[in-house]
Amino acid sequence: MRWLLLLAVALAVPGSAGAAPCSDLPNPIYLQVGDTQTNLMKRLGRALRDNDAKPVTLVFKTAGSCVNIAQIYDATPIAGNENLQYVPSMAEDAAWTPTSPTLTCQAPAGGVVPDIANSALFNSACTTSPPPSTVTLTTGPTQAYVLAVPEASQQTAITFEEAYFVFGFGQLGQIIPWMDETQMFIRTVTKSTLLAWAANISVPADKWKGVRHDGSPMVVSSLTGSTSPEAAIGILGAEVYDGLRDTLNILAFRAKGQYAAYYPDSTSTSRDKKNVRDGHYTVWSPTIWMETVDGSGNPVKPDAHYVIQLIAGRSVTPAIDFDMQAIVAAVGLVPDCAMHVKRSFEGGKLSLYQPAEDCTCKYESLVDTTSCATCSPSQPCSSGVCRDGFCEVQ
Amino acid sequence: MSIARTIFLTASLVFTSACGDDGGSAPEDAPVSDAGVDAAPDASCFTNPQTHEEIINACTTAQKIDKDSHPPLLNADGSLPPLPP
Repeated sequence: MRWLLLLAVALAVPGSAGAAPCSDLPNPIYLQVGDTQTNLMKRLGRALRDNDAKPVTLVFKTAGSCVNIAQIYDATPIAGNENLQYVPSMAEDAAWTPTSPTLTCQAPAGGVVPDIANSALFNSACTTSPPPSTVTLTTGPTQAYVLAVPEASQQTAITFEEAYFVFGFGQLGQIIPWMDETQMFIRTVTKSTLLAWAANISVPADKWKGVRHDGSPMVVSSLTGSTSPEAAIGILGAEVYDGLRDTLNILAFRAKGQYAAYYPDSTSTSRDKKNVRDGHYTVWSPTIWMETVDGSGNPVKPDAHYVIQLIAGRSVTPAIDFDMQAIVAAVGLVPDCAMHVKRSFEGGKLSLYQPAEDCTCKYESLVDTTSCATCSPSQPCSSGVCRDGFCEVQ
Repeated sequence: MSIARTIFLTASLVFTSACGDDGGSAPEDAPVSDAGVDAAPDASCFTNPQTHEEIINACTTAQKIDKDSHPPLLNADGSLPPLPP
């Protein structure tokens, strides 16, 4: 009943200073994440609210990856009374869906250091400082980044060299049709979307030409509202684009030294992230999840560790009552166990990668179809390992 | 196995190995065979990629787009000029 009251208050004054205290929500875990992770926060937040064995409320705010890194490295609190986001449980609002807005609650009056901070790219792209001994880093799902254009645009691909001139020279770069710097929608220098693209096209983040937006939604609205759709181009996280495919298109990208251009997915309309997983699409980063630990390296907040382990695709105790891989796949991220290439720094060269416990077949079954053999206790695999009903490589 | 069949199989293997490369020796400037969108593996790809350059040019059935691009400011040797200050 108390949660119903909280919900009623939150709905009545969304985003207002009068929001209910976040500390009154069940088992709140405070996160500061990149805005590319909003869809993950909403879906996972909903599932964890209703996770019977361990209900958790993800209370989050979004900020640039570099800001998030500094926040947890320096143990800087989120401001007291700041409005934060969360999603309702089934009991609170059965009709809520991931397309619905989040609810708002108020951070504790004295402020709160995030239990979890997220960077949607290698931390080394933001800072050369190693993490303090009080912070541990866990690699989560892979995030692709895209160049998006309005649906009315006729453009289908861009090369590494073209992107270098478009964003490094602007109008002077003479790359038709992307010569109007007022139609080039980019991000501020602390954002993973810009930093990832910067590393992949050899244009430092502070050298980019174009209109700098603080949030992905502003890039989206600038693209969709452009009166010069052929000249318009913007940078987005792939999962942002995946939620807007009916209003935007993306460009296939030909990396340096590559023979042809590719989409993140195997076709312009599929959602399998095949080219991210096998290295044909090079603009991607791992998501990094940071938590605070004590002097012995143990998590200061075990339930925050529980959430991070889940996001990283590891088994947790108590077991969850939902499919985490399905959530990761649904928001356009790629679980590490489905990746077959890796890199060690932002924009770095790719090398082959075989995850210890492969989930490629399961992932493909979630986003497309899989040619993998199915299996069960009574129908073992002829080769490989039976996991989640599929014969995985290992 | 007849001699003719043996010759045919040997020739097939030779041509098959020439299509792509599992030893990493395919020329990096090999032309991409398709014009526009293609859904089939082409001849200038790597069947057993090991290095970065081979991985990004590995044979694939994924949709690919060939773009004939000649940025006006590209240096004559194909290198990029420095960024403006």
